Amino acid sequence: MEFSREIYWNVGHGAWTLVPMYLLAIVAIGLLVKGFLRRVEVYKQGLPLNRMDQPGRRLAIMLENVLLQKKVTGVPWPGLLHGFFFWGFGLLVIGTTLIVIQADFTDLLFDVKFLKGTFYKLFSIVLDLAGLVCIVMLGGLLVRRYFFAPEGLETKKDDAIMHGLLFVILITGFIIEGARMAVTEMGTPLAAWSPVGLVVANILSGLGEAPLLVLHKMTWWFHLLLVMSFFIIIPLTKFRHILTTSSNYFFSDLGPKGKLVNLDLENEESETFGATSLKEMTWKDIFDADACTLCKRCQDRCPAFATGKPLSPMKVVNQLGEAAFTDPEVNLIELIGKDVLWACTTCRACQEICPAAIEHVGKIIELRRSMVLMEGEFPGEEVMAAMEATEVNGNPLGIGYAERGDWAAELGIPSLAEDTAVDVLYFVGCYASFDKRNIAVAKSFIKLCQAAGVKVGILGKEEKCCGEPMRKIGNEYLYQSLAVDQIELIKSYGMKKIVTTCPHCFNTLNKDYRDLGFDIPVQSYTEFLAALIGSGKLRIDARELSCTYHDSCYLGRHNDIYEAPRQLIAAAGGRLIEMDKNRAEAFCCSAGGGRILAEEKIGERINVRRVEMAAATGAPVLLSNCPFCLTMFEDGVKGAGVEESLRPKDIAEILAERIR
Amino acid sequence: MKILVCIKQVPDMESKFKVDAGGTWYARTDLAWRMNEYDEYAVEQAVQLKEQVKDADVTVLCIGSDQVKETMKKALAMGCDRGAHIADDAAFGKEPFEIAGIIAEFAKGKSFDLIFTGMQSQDRASGQVGVLIAEMLDMPSISTVVHFAYDNGTVLAKRELEGGVKACVKVQAPVVITCQLGMNTPRYPTLPNIMKAKKKELLSLPVQDLLKVAARQQTAKIYFPEKKGGGTVLEGDVAEMADKLIRILKEKTGVLA
Repeated sequence: MEFSREIYWNVGHGAWTLVPMYLLAIVAIGLLVKGFLRRVEVYKQGLPLNRMDQPGRRLAIMLENVLLQKKVTGVPWPGLLHGFFFWGFGLLVIGTTLIVIQADFTDLLFDVKFLKGTFYKLFSIVLDLAGLVCIVMLGGLLVRRYFFAPEGLETKKDDAIMHGLLFVILITGFIIEGARMAVTEMGTPLAAWSPVGLVVANILSGLGEAPLLVLHKMTWWFHLLLVMSFFIIIPLTKFRHILTTSSNYFFSDLGPKGKLVNLDLENEESETFGATSLKEMTWKDIFDADACTLCKRCQDRCPAFATGKPLSPMKVVNQLGEAAFTDPEVNLIELIGKDVLWACTTCRACQEICPAAIEHVGKIIELRRSMVLMEGEFPGEEVMAAMEATEVNGNPLGIGYAERGDWAAELGIPSLAEDTAVDVLYFVGCYASFDKRNIAVAKSFIKLCQAAGVKVGILGKEEKCCGEPMRKIGNEYLYQSLAVDQIELIKSYGMKKIVTTCPHCFNTLNKDYRDLGFDIPVQSYTEFLAALIGSGKLRIDARELSCTYHDSCYLGRHNDIYEAPRQLIAAAGGRLIEMDKNRAEAFCCSAGGGRILAEEKIGERINVRRVEMAAATGAPVLLSNCPFCLTMFEDGVKGAGVEESLRPKDIAEILAERIR
Repeated sequence: MKILVCIKQVPDMESKFKVDAGGTWYARTDLAWRMNEYDEYAVEQAVQLKEQVKDADVTVLCIGSDQVKETMKKALAMGCDRGAHIADDAAFGKEPFEIAGIIAEFAKGKSFDLIFTGMQSQDRASGQVGVLIAEMLDMPSISTVVHFAYDNGTVLAKRELEGGVKACVKVQAPVVITCQLGMNTPRYPTLPNIMKAKKKELLSLPVQDLLKVAARQQTAKIYFPEKKGGGTVLEGDVAEMADKLIRILKEKTGVLA
């Protein structure tokens, strides 16, 4: 016998079935499209933003994340529940589509049937098991949500509707299959290819043929109605993520990673800068809210949220969306709250983990820009003082600019004004220039370069702050004045390569300055030194050192440099005990996003929390790669009361101690 | 209402100062320049007053080389309406009577209702210019003001006296106010105002047209304070330190005699 089954068995394949069915389908799809078109109108309130360039690359990102569920399953629990549900559900959709294609097109028009033989057996078992996987995964998700809800998980009416509808669709699917099998397949070899259906069939078989036929027919129509309702409510419930989240991968920011939008400050027409209302945000900022599934992964990783500050990246994103749909004229800064906006350290933990490709940080900066540029507001007077200090002396610490190069006086390091015949320009940064603790790092770096025979030059008193903290606080004007000044200066010396020991300087010179016509290669000292060690120019004695290592946000998440610093630690003989939160999951030190300039007035101290994580490893040394982190940790070891047992150090320092 | 704010560009006090070749002032090399701190309070108060009475015109005045225009632009960005730059490359050498004379000459006949100046400059710190202007223009003046209120021609001000005591002064405009720390928090200029400031009137007048008075003082010499002996830190346990202290007091002072 040929393995197959009669499509539309018992339901009939005449006009009485097809006409209402296709009418329902057309109405449902029509309503789905209409539902989304109405949402598109809301998205369009935002400013234009081109996210259609490089369609091939965008499509690849989308397929990778939708079909392979890469980001979703990046957090295995509950990501894999969603992943398996998605794959199961996908197979059911494909299976149903194949049935439609055969029954209503190829067979109807050309007498071609392909759901037969071995392919049918495969088709049958795959769909049968896919249905089971879907039910089990959905059950897992339901139990998690309703019985063991993790802290912070928001459960709304949408979730109940979605769980309920999907469950009933899946169960009715098995009842239809079971009823059909009970009548047609019992005792045939084909039954074994639908094991779950067979179990249902065995339960139902006692009913007798006539009631089974009625049950089958009624359930079939009920199932169809449910599926049509599913289509209709996609745009109206969180089901919309099926389309919005998938498309959001396509609309991803293609990089450079985390680079902020450059404001055109020369434009005489502009009357507002930054955003206070939705019409000053982009369509993507509204769309992001529709792509959000409230998985709260961002909130779970937000250092501000974790330490009792009012910021939740998830909430900010959704407030924007809600405003777009209900109150588009609302003042977003008042709606979200200033303390919320100032709390962000731009650590990027939210964006890095987001399985919906949402861009949280840029939104917050856009709103901060409005506060600073339009209102002259800052998180505190100390921040305003730092801005003014930078305007006067080119550094937020307020120290006389002429002293900037003094730390290098005894080291024989020329400023470029004196000598441009150098191998690399070391862009020192404010902290390594003026802060005693960080001057030690700068000196260590110079020692390493000298040991490797690299001739280093600095800008000395001509160097100014790169503008990073100012830009992240929202002061785009001050940032651009500093940037334009430094770009012109560095270019005038014809430098071929720049190295930084500050990841904030690195990120700014290497990404942000590119928008202002800066094209000189910039390298982080970690990669620079790793290359010198690799080529044998720099020889380091590996000496026993037990340590833990903190991935700074701007070397790590913002630039994906995770291995070079670990290679350096290994080269120094370091036995690295990782903290639980490391690499892309590293917990911020509190100083990013311009927060280095601000007092932390709300909640617990982030730096103390991070130091406690480091102390928990039992390692006596906490290594980092960033002057802000080092500053926060020197302070944090005191706050955590581990001054005696945990010593914060920069990687450059342990290397310089071990020069062969 | 017409308001005049007098500001001065001074070096940032964090700068490394050196005595210049003439020995009567500091050298200008390696200095960062900014608005005199007390003048920032003056600008802020003038702008706040303008915002209060709505119909007001604020002129900011500064004496110095072209370089001071940068600082004037900040005052314009903070909200002053026009700038009067008194071009004088040798302003740093002028003593307070000459500076006040120049400003009074400028203000004469312009019927300013209020003139704000800083309490003193951070570099010369004579504290005389504001009150001298008032004398020269035959106006009342209130110095070291830490709180300012204006109502329909009447100024209510709090002056800071010694020992934390404050004096409340009531006076009818026109009046000269010299501003002290604590009066207000100077605003950070917004970007639209920075851009507007670039287009505001900023006229330069040659100093010779306004300098009608002769200097009355001369700076003979400026020098860094002489290094005196450093302090002594006593260490050890309390009894030991007490003994050491008594010995020092006996040997080096007469307090125990």
